[in-house]
Amino acid sequence: MTEHAPALELSGIDMHYGYVRALAGIDFHVDPGEVVGLLGDNGAGKSTLLKVMSGAHRPSGGAIRVRGEEVAFHSPSDAASAGIQMVYQDLALVDPQDISTNLNIGREILRKGPLGWLGFVDRKAMRKRSEAELDRLGVRTAPMTRPVEMLSGGQRQVVALARSAIRVSGESNGVLLLDEPTAALGYEQTRQVEALIRRMAGQGIAIVLVTHNLPLCYEVAERVVVLNRGSKVADVRLAETEPDHIVGWITGARASQFAAA
Amino acid sequence: MTADLNPGATTSAVVPAPATEVAVPTGSDMPRAVSALVFVRDRGIFVLWGLIIVAFSFWCAPYFATLDNALLVANAAALTAIFAAGVGFGVMTGVLDLSLPGTAAFASCVTGWLMTHGQPAWLSLLAGFACGALVGLANGLITLRGFNPIIVTIGSLSVLSGLAAVIAAGYTFPGLDALEFMGTHRYFGVPAPVFVVALLFVVGTVFLTRTRDGIRLMSVGGNSEAVRRSGIHSDRYKVLGFVISGLCAALGGLVTTAVTTEATPEASPSIIFNALTAVALAGVALTGGRGSLPRVLVGALILATIANGLTIRGIQPYWATVTTGALLLGSLALERVIQTSVSNRLMASANLSVHKKQV
Repeated sequence: MTEHAPALELSGIDMHYGYVRALAGIDFHVDPGEVVGLLGDNGAGKSTLLKVMSGAHRPSGGAIRVRGEEVAFHSPSDAASAGIQMVYQDLALVDPQDISTNLNIGREILRKGPLGWLGFVDRKAMRKRSEAELDRLGVRTAPMTRPVEMLSGGQRQVVALARSAIRVSGESNGVLLLDEPTAALGYEQTRQVEALIRRMAGQGIAIVLVTHNLPLCYEVAERVVVLNRGSKVADVRLAETEPDHIVGWITGARASQFAAA
Repeated sequence: MTADLNPGATTSAVVPAPATEVAVPTGSDMPRAVSALVFVRDRGIFVLWGLIIVAFSFWCAPYFATLDNALLVANAAALTAIFAAGVGFGVMTGVLDLSLPGTAAFASCVTGWLMTHGQPAWLSLLAGFACGALVGLANGLITLRGFNPIIVTIGSLSVLSGLAAVIAAGYTFPGLDALEFMGTHRYFGVPAPVFVVALLFVVGTVFLTRTRDGIRLMSVGGNSEAVRRSGIHSDRYKVLGFVISGLCAALGGLVTTAVTTEATPEASPSIIFNALTAVALAGVALTGGRGSLPRVLVGALILATIANGLTIRGIQPYWATVTTGALLLGSLALERVIQTSVSNRLMASANLSVHKKQV
């Protein structure tokens, strides 16, 4: 109903672990088709914020809105059904199974008729659907019947990203949360994954990218949000800043944009 | 400096030039050598069995290569095959169920007790299978609490073989002739256990490769976390693996009972070791998620074939044990060689393909 609402919006998110305040009044939003880099040093609160977004943690305070509507996530599956998918660093693919099975598990197509009642799957239909979905993402893959264990690191990352992208790009475009998607990849493979991220954004998927990798942000993100010790210290378009400033915010050498407030 | 780092920032909303056309190498980039090696890995055991048969056909002529002898081998392999299916189901789901002999003894003693107390055979058999399923359920639920499945199933092995002896009050249940239809009876000249095995393996294979629950079961064995994150209750499938394994054990126990017309509470550990040998020979990795039932069946058949061939030649049976042990070690070595050489070749082709690929 709210056409121009952000795909995902967090306002005033607080998170306490006992006496430790992990997040203090974080405001964050990502629009459909936008790639936002979430930066910060170790312990800055990136992972905590990501867990709040993915439903793994409930914030101590603040509101989460998905496409303008307030939601409360009690578990990652709540977030998933709201169209928010997390891609973990360990890709969580089933190695001995083929690409098609990995893309279709949990949403299998059953055969029509009595065989379907017995739970028989329609492998051909699933392969076809996955091929169409990957084509839509602009990802050409190895044959659908190739076991994941026979793919290179970059190919696996692409399959893992595609699996999540497929799940959020159903009826309305969702949000992908990526945790260091290129951490384990070589140069060429990193370029491929970067291109895929941009392509997914081009399809209208909102993407939050958590990384230590500044060049990666410059390749794919339009905007970065920098956290420092649980607070947001910067929220800038990359076109309007420069790497030295961002590094300054990350390390704390540069004063917060929101300090005096 | 900024300009150098910044090329993507301004254009990123626009879908870039088709740099991703090569995002994943396509089509026939798998070298032929790799396909061949994968064939050896997945189908090698069938070739091996074929070679053994050919060798014995010459070496043990004219007694080996006859229909009667084939039936003898099949019948001898039947019990091992049933238990191997149980172990195989467990291992593919990622657990090693050592309680199978106990489950088998328990199920057959329950069935024997019921039959000697005037119950009809079908009801007694049903009760035996129910015992197998319940044991699997209990094993699974206990394991889900985070206990090591090997220890849990060793525990239930003790409990069950003890309980079986309690039911039998230290004796056996002899004279269960009503089970002859699935024991010594022959249909079209083929012993009943062979039909049982054929049915079990056909149904099991179709289940594991063609149905939603079977594929999920295998996937849980491969990476239960991945399945869980796909929104599936992977725990249910772990329990299902134990239940199927328990059912196979019960089936094995009941067929044994039918063949011997006697239910005995003795839970022989050699059952599990024969079954494990067949499974390992079939190249089913104990880490789970891989393997296929037809290979397990051939594994059991190889054990029986070797024993049979050597017996025909009048060689003492313990040489059969030596041979299977050596085969098992050899298959491990072969698998290692294939593994490394496949990954070497794939590595080479992956590095190549990034550069030369034109889709």
